Amino acid sequence: MSKWIGLLAALVLHAIACTQSVRAQTALTCPVKIGGVLPLTGSMGPVTKKIAESAQLAIDHINEGGGIKGCPVEFILRDDQGQPTVGVDAAKYLVEVEGIKALTGTVSSGITGPIISAVSAPSKIVQISCCSTATPFTVDGRSQGYFFRTLPTSKTQAYATAAEMARRGFKKTAIIYVNTDFGSDVLHFVRQSLPKLGGDIAIEVPYNDNQPSYRAEVTKALGAQPETLLFIGFPKDGVTVVREWLSLGGTQKIALSNSNRVQTFVDGVGPRYLNDAFGIDNAQTEGSSVEAFNKLFEVKYKYDSKGPGVHTQYDALIVLGLAMNIATDLGGPAIKEAVRKIHTPGGEPVGTGPDEFRKAVALIKAGKPIVYNGATGPLEFDANGDVTGPTLVWRIDNGTLKVEKVLDIEAMKALFKKVDG
Amino acid sequence: MIGLLSYFVFFACVVLILGIIALGLNLQWGYTGLFNAGVVGFYAIGAYTHAVLTALPKADLIGNFGLPWIVGVAGAMLACAIAAWIVALATIRLRDDYLAIATFGIATTIQLVTLNWDRLTGGSNGFSGIRRPLSDFFSTPFSFNLWYLALLSAITLLVYVALDRMLHSPWGRVLKAIREDETAAIALGKSATQFRIQAFVLGSMLMGLAGALYVSFIGFVSPFDFLPILTFQIWAMVIVGGSGNNKGVLLGALVVWGMWAGSGVAVAKLVPPAYVAQGGAIQVILIGVLLVVSLLFRPGGLIGENVTVSRSVHG
Repeated sequence: MSKWIGLLAALVLHAIACTQSVRAQTALTCPVKIGGVLPLTGSMGPVTKKIAESAQLAIDHINEGGGIKGCPVEFILRDDQGQPTVGVDAAKYLVEVEGIKALTGTVSSGITGPIISAVSAPSKIVQISCCSTATPFTVDGRSQGYFFRTLPTSKTQAYATAAEMARRGFKKTAIIYVNTDFGSDVLHFVRQSLPKLGGDIAIEVPYNDNQPSYRAEVTKALGAQPETLLFIGFPKDGVTVVREWLSLGGTQKIALSNSNRVQTFVDGVGPRYLNDAFGIDNAQTEGSSVEAFNKLFEVKYKYDSKGPGVHTQYDALIVLGLAMNIATDLGGPAIKEAVRKIHTPGGEPVGTGPDEFRKAVALIKAGKPIVYNGATGPLEFDANGDVTGPTLVWRIDNGTLKVEKVLDIEAMKALFKKVDG
Repeated sequence: MIGLLSYFVFFACVVLILGIIALGLNLQWGYTGLFNAGVVGFYAIGAYTHAVLTALPKADLIGNFGLPWIVGVAGAMLACAIAAWIVALATIRLRDDYLAIATFGIATTIQLVTLNWDRLTGGSNGFSGIRRPLSDFFSTPFSFNLWYLALLSAITLLVYVALDRMLHSPWGRVLKAIREDETAAIALGKSATQFRIQAFVLGSMLMGLAGALYVSFIGFVSPFDFLPILTFQIWAMVIVGGSGNNKGVLLGALVVWGMWAGSGVAVAKLVPPAYVAQGGAIQVILIGVLLVVSLLFRPGGLIGENVTVSRSVHG
């Protein structure tokens, strides 16, 4: 027994002594490995297929565009099965055994969270997520700056929604929201901003997704005699909620969250009830670099690129590709610094696709600054590692979705200042 | 090389944590015949109790007392004991599948409570900053994991030896008697209900212990850690390893979790990049096939229960 304890103690001491030197191994070896963890199966499986394809497309573009520091990139994608233990194990394997230099993933915040705290932050590996919205990840210090995400946080959407509700004179609002990290996050920020901007909340009602009926939730919301509705959730359940809301006598003054900006929602509810409704969406997804991406995606996979996470996943990997070219070496700290240099004011703009990537690599080699315009439009990370972007107000005009106006980055910054002080 | 070692240390930690839960379930099912389908519920109670007791204070959360690690572990086991005792009083008269349905429902309820009681649990966002033992001293990930593996090995050994002694005592023989024929056990003057409650509470405390060990290993907790799939995995470990044999269920934890993680590696290695989006489905199929095969060839588990025959038969 004591022999084993002695051996173990020796191992521990050895480990303390030598892990530092292991981490210093940042020398370049081809191919450069990038890891991915995504829920290919499980409840998010159907959504993730396109996200994984988008990731593969980005890797193809990086390789066709010259790779990373002259090396081809090998992408190793693992399934988290929608289960935190599986996702963490996969990430750990990628980092320790495969020796990946950076990581992308994952979708569910319940899996991204433990990967940040157990794998990427302690191992100093940059992790960029396409889809995890939980606000605390970037703010509470657990990531030590190694976590980034390419989708705007819930805060941007919530503040813009609150501002537009106040502008339209929405009062006594009932909020019906999906009880996930997304829904409760948006709610949190609406709660924070709406009273300051001139609105008020009559009642907050959570719902669980994929139910056949939401009569109980809608009845409860109507019990508070609200004058307006804010629905935070996804279109499939949204159709059910809003139909029941209207049929039980709710008003047509409805505010909607971004993912309901789809024709199936409008047709499902019935266009004639929605002329007083409006919604907010991310205004990034416009512009030539976005169209270029959509076209390339369609050419490769023979169907369109619409869907959650598809554009943001592409950007997550291209950002990694660019940052790893910019970084002085392929260690985590160097890549972390370089991520912020993909958008250097006054730099040469580069877009999506292999040719643009090649152009970017040439510029980087020449020591020139770049501005990356991605599949989600212009992209810049703030101090926390989040992207803020312009937002747009949309409405439904006799059954067709129309953009009413765009709040640009300056307007959004002013709004943030007004609420947060 | 050191990378591979580092991964296996991490892997072994997860196996031991799952192994402790499996030991708890084996006490309930393997020895006493209690069909607990709510394993993950007690695991969640242990995990959250530890997290709330030891995490650093945060403005928008009640709890997070920043207490020492050991207080969190003890608290987790105590909370589980109380919860299991209440559940046992309510359900212990139920048998077999009825008990399974009731405990499954309770586990789902617990998971929904963790999802909705924002002020205590952080809701769906979860929270981090959970105390890890001696994490200041072992500052690199590898050294911490190695130390944690040593700690987990010691705890697992302690649990194993304690269970072994209890199960070979008269107390353990009563549990088996209840499992085999409850009426006969009662006829011999044993209070079946009392013994069932004791086994249920003890087993659940082990699940709570594992929960505390898990969150202090990962440093983060959210309701997504406690989905029903985990109950299924633990059952698979007990059945594949050998229900009624503690060595067997520890081996089962290693084999089942090894298959789970290993199949992912295999798929990532063997499936060409172009089909990687479809590869995930192969992994799930692979796990299912391996489970079925192991049950076909070893229906009693890899190490089945030791046959115990009354001394007088040999006489």
